[in-house]
Amino acid sequence: MTSQMLDASLHERRRDRRMQDPQYRAAYEQAARELAQTDAVIRQLDSLRVDLGISKAELARRVNRNASSVRRLFTASQVRPELPLVAALADALGAELRVVPRSTEARRAAREHDRTRRVADTG
Amino acid sequence: MVGRYYQAPDGTVPALEFLDGCPGTVDAQFTAVLDAVAAAPHPRFSGGGKWEAMHGTMGGWYEIRLTGPGREQLRLFCLLENGTSDELARRGLPRPAIAVLTGMRKPRRTVFPERDYQRVRELGLEHQQNYQRRIAT
Repeated sequence: MTSQMLDASLHERRRDRRMQDPQYRAAYEQAARELAQTDAVIRQLDSLRVDLGISKAELARRVNRNASSVRRLFTASQVRPELPLVAALADALGAELRVVPRSTEARRAAREHDRTRRVADTG
Repeated sequence: MVGRYYQAPDGTVPALEFLDGCPGTVDAQFTAVLDAVAAAPHPRFSGGGKWEAMHGTMGGWYEIRLTGPGREQLRLFCLLENGTSDELARRGLPRPAIAVLTGMRKPRRTVFPERDYQRVRELGLEHQQNYQRRIAT
C-alpha cells in the first residue's frame, strides 16, 4: 500500500515498536546523546567563529589546516570529526574542550547499561 | 522534516530490508541519526559525525555511516526532499522529508564497487521521477 499524506510515518511507527526492546532503546538513546553532543560542540565552535568575525579560511590558517577540512567540519561534509582538529579550533577561538560528568543517576544508568550489554554479549 | 522509505515498483522497500537485516543496535543507531537529521536538518545539523553529504558521482546524496560488529561498515543512502509547498504537494509530501532509499554493507577497509553506487543512483532516479513519490506506509 502506498500513500503520501499520512502523518504517522512508517518510520515513526517502526521506531516506536522497536523501542519496546530495552536493548534497542538503550542503543538508540546512546546514539542520540552522542549525536547531540558532537553536533553541539561543532555548532558551538561555529557560533564562536561567527561571533569573532573569523572566516572559515582564516580559522583554518590559524590552526595550520587547509580550509576545506574546516569547511567540511562545519557543513556535515565530514564524518568522524578529528578530536585534535576540534581541540585546535577551540583553542584558536579562545575556548577549550571539557568533559563534564553527568549526574550521579545518569552515571548509574550508564554502568547498568554496560553491565546489561556485557551479559548480553556473553549470553 | 520526516523520514520516508522509498518503495520500489515491485512493492519491496530496500531500506527497510536493509535495516531489518542489521543487528538491532545498529538499526537503532541509524534510526537515531535519521531522527536527529529530521529534527534539525542540514545545514543546521552538523552531522554529529554520522551524517555526511556525499560527493563526486554521488553528489546530492547523503549517507549515514556506521560501524557494526566486527567493524563491518554499514551505510544508509538518503535524499532530501525540499521545495516550495506547491512542489512538495506535487511530490505528495506534506512537508520536507528525508527519503531513505537503501543501504549497503561492506567489510572494513574495502570500497563499494562503482556498480553498487550506480544501483543506488538508479533507485534515486526512479524515486525522483515519481509524481507523487512512492512511499512505504
